[in-house]
Amino acid sequence: MSSVPGDAGSAPAAGPYGEIFDRGYQHYQGRREGRAHAVRALTLYSMRRALGVKKRWTAKIIPIFLYAAAFVPVVTIIGVRALVTQVSAQLAEGFNYSFLAAAISPLLLIYAAAAAPEMLCDDRRENVLPLYFSRAITRVDYLLAKVLALGLLMGSIAIVPLLVLFVGNTLLADAPLTYLRQHPGDIGRILITGTLLSVYYAAIGLVIAAFTARKGVAAALYIGFITIETGVVEALSLAVSGAWKDYLDLFSLGNVPDRIVQWLLGPASGAGSAPVGAPLQGWTYLFTVAAVVTVCGVVMHRRYLAEE
Amino acid sequence: MTQPDTPIVVSRGLLKAYGSVVALDRLDLEVPPGAIGLLGPNGAGKSTLIKLLLGLIKPTEGVASVLGLDIASEGVQIRQRTGYMPESDCLPGDVTAADFVGHMAQMSGLPARAARLRAAEVLYHCGVDEERYRLIKEFSTGMKQRVKLAQAIVHDPALVFLDEPTNGMDPAGREEMLELINRIHREVGITVLLSSHILEDVERVCDYVLLLDQGRLVQHGTVSSLLAGGGDILVEIDGDRAAFAEALAARGAVVTTQDGVLAVRHTEDQVFDLVRDTAADLDVALRGLRVRSQSLEDVYVQQVAAASGGNDGVERAG
Repeated sequence: MSSVPGDAGSAPAAGPYGEIFDRGYQHYQGRREGRAHAVRALTLYSMRRALGVKKRWTAKIIPIFLYAAAFVPVVTIIGVRALVTQVSAQLAEGFNYSFLAAAISPLLLIYAAAAAPEMLCDDRRENVLPLYFSRAITRVDYLLAKVLALGLLMGSIAIVPLLVLFVGNTLLADAPLTYLRQHPGDIGRILITGTLLSVYYAAIGLVIAAFTARKGVAAALYIGFITIETGVVEALSLAVSGAWKDYLDLFSLGNVPDRIVQWLLGPASGAGSAPVGAPLQGWTYLFTVAAVVTVCGVVMHRRYLAEE
Repeated sequence: MTQPDTPIVVSRGLLKAYGSVVALDRLDLEVPPGAIGLLGPNGAGKSTLIKLLLGLIKPTEGVASVLGLDIASEGVQIRQRTGYMPESDCLPGDVTAADFVGHMAQMSGLPARAARLRAAEVLYHCGVDEERYRLIKEFSTGMKQRVKLAQAIVHDPALVFLDEPTNGMDPAGREEMLELINRIHREVGITVLLSSHILEDVERVCDYVLLLDQGRLVQHGTVSSLLAGGGDILVEIDGDRAAFAEALAARGAVVTTQDGVLAVRHTEDQVFDLVRDTAADLDVALRGLRVRSQSLEDVYVQQVAAASGGNDGVERAG
C-alpha cells in the first residue's frame, strides 16, 4: 500500500461514527477570478505579513509600537478635552492637524523603514518570486500589490489619527453641525496630505528594499539615505548663495513631508504663501513628491523586469 | 482537460539569444499531451524553454504556443492554465503549508474560501495532511518538495512544469514523489512536463521525451520508440565464435564482441531467427541467448555525444 493518500480503490473505513470515503482528486469546477483578484490577494497577504499576523511575537513589536505612538496621543488629548472642559480650547489650538501630522511624520519614516523590506526582501531572499511570476499576474501587478499594501499601511498611520482628531474636534465643538459647516475642507486636506506622505515614504522605502534581500540592511539604508541626503542638501544650501539656492530645498528629501504638511494643514498655508520655514511656495513641493514617486516606480519596474 | 490528439506545445523556429549567446536554437516542436520528459545536460536550455513556454521571457525569433495560446502575447492566460514547480528552494519559512498553498491558489484566481478548501485537499493528495498547519521551515526536504508540487497543481492546471522534482530526496521520498507525478498524469489527467537529469525518473514517469543539447533539440519521440531497436542480443555458443560472427555479418547483422560474448544489434525480431538459422547452418550449439535492452541513458549518451561532435562556431549557453 502506498503512503501517498488518495490511491484509487481506497476502501471506506468503517467505524463507530460512520465511514470515511476517499473521494480521490477532484477537478476544480468553481469560479476563477482575474488579475485584479490576485493583486488584491497579494496586497492583503503582504499587509498581514508586515503587521506580523500569524508570525512570532517579535514580528509584532514594531507595528504595535508605531500604532500606539500614532493613536495614543490623539486619543488621550481628545479624552482630556472631553473630561476637562476648561483646557479644551487651549489644547485644541496647540494640538491641531498640522502639529499632529508633523509629529506623525517621523513615525512614517520608521514605519516605511520597517515595513518596506517586509514587502520585498523576504520574497527575494526566500526565492518566492519565481512562484509569483509563474501565476497569472504581470510584474507590474506584483509591484502594484506591494505599493498598495505599504501605501495602505502607511495611510492607516498618516490619515486615521488625523481623522480621529477631526471627529473629536467635531464632537467636542459647542455646535458640531456648525463646526462641520465651518470646516468643509478639513477631511479633504487630511486625506490628500496623508496620501502624499504615505506614497512618498513608501516609494523611497520600496525602491531601496528592491535592491537587497536583507531586511535590516534595507531599513538601515533607508533611514541613513534620507538622513544623510537631507543633511548634505542643508549644508549645501548654507554654503552657497544665489537665487537658485532656495530651490535646493526641493531636493531635501527629509524636509519635503514637513513642507507638504505645513502647506496643506498648517496655519500659515494659503494661496501664494510659502509653508512655515520653507523658501518656496507649497505647490512646488508637489513636484518633488511626484518626481520621487515616478523615479522610484520606474527604477522598481526595471529592477523587477530583470528578475528571472 | 487537454484533448488527446491536440499538441499542447507547438513551436516553429523558436530562438532565444542573450546577446551573442544562443540559449535555444530554432526549436521546432509538436509535443503531445501526457507525461513529457525534458532532458539535457546543464546549460542545454531546459530552463530557458520552460520560461519561454510560461510566457515569462520573450523569444528572440520564432513563434510558439502552449495549450493553443501564444507565448509572446498571452503569457498571463497561459499561466492561468499552467503550474510550475521550480527546482530551487522557493518556499517561505515562517508560513504554514496550508496558508501558503491557499495564498497561491488565490493568486491563481480562486476565491478565498475555495482556495482554502482546495489547498487542504491538494496538500492531502500530495501526502501533507495534518502537517499542513506546521511552519514550512520545520519540514524535511521531501515534505517541502510535496508542498512545492501542491502549490503547482492547487489551481487545477491543464499542464504543470516540474523542474527536478526529486532533487535532494531520499530513495523512499523519491519513490513517492514519482508515484505522485504518475498519478497526476495518469489518474488526474494533468499533462506533466518533467525536466530532470535523473534519466531513470524520466523513463519511469514519461511517455514522450525531448532531448536538448546546447540549445538544440537533438532527439524527441515516445520513450518506446526511442528505446526500440536499440538493444543487443547477447549470444553464447559452443564452437568457432569468429566464424559464427562472420556468417552473421554476411547475412546483414551488426555484430560486435563484448567480454567474450557476441553482441548482435537487436534491430528487429527477425534477428532471433537469423541467429538460430546461422547456428543451424554452421552446426554450432547455442548456449545462451539474452536480450540487453537499451536504456534512456544509452540513448541520451549517444545523442549528446553525437550532437557535441558538430560545432558550427555559434557561441551557445553552457
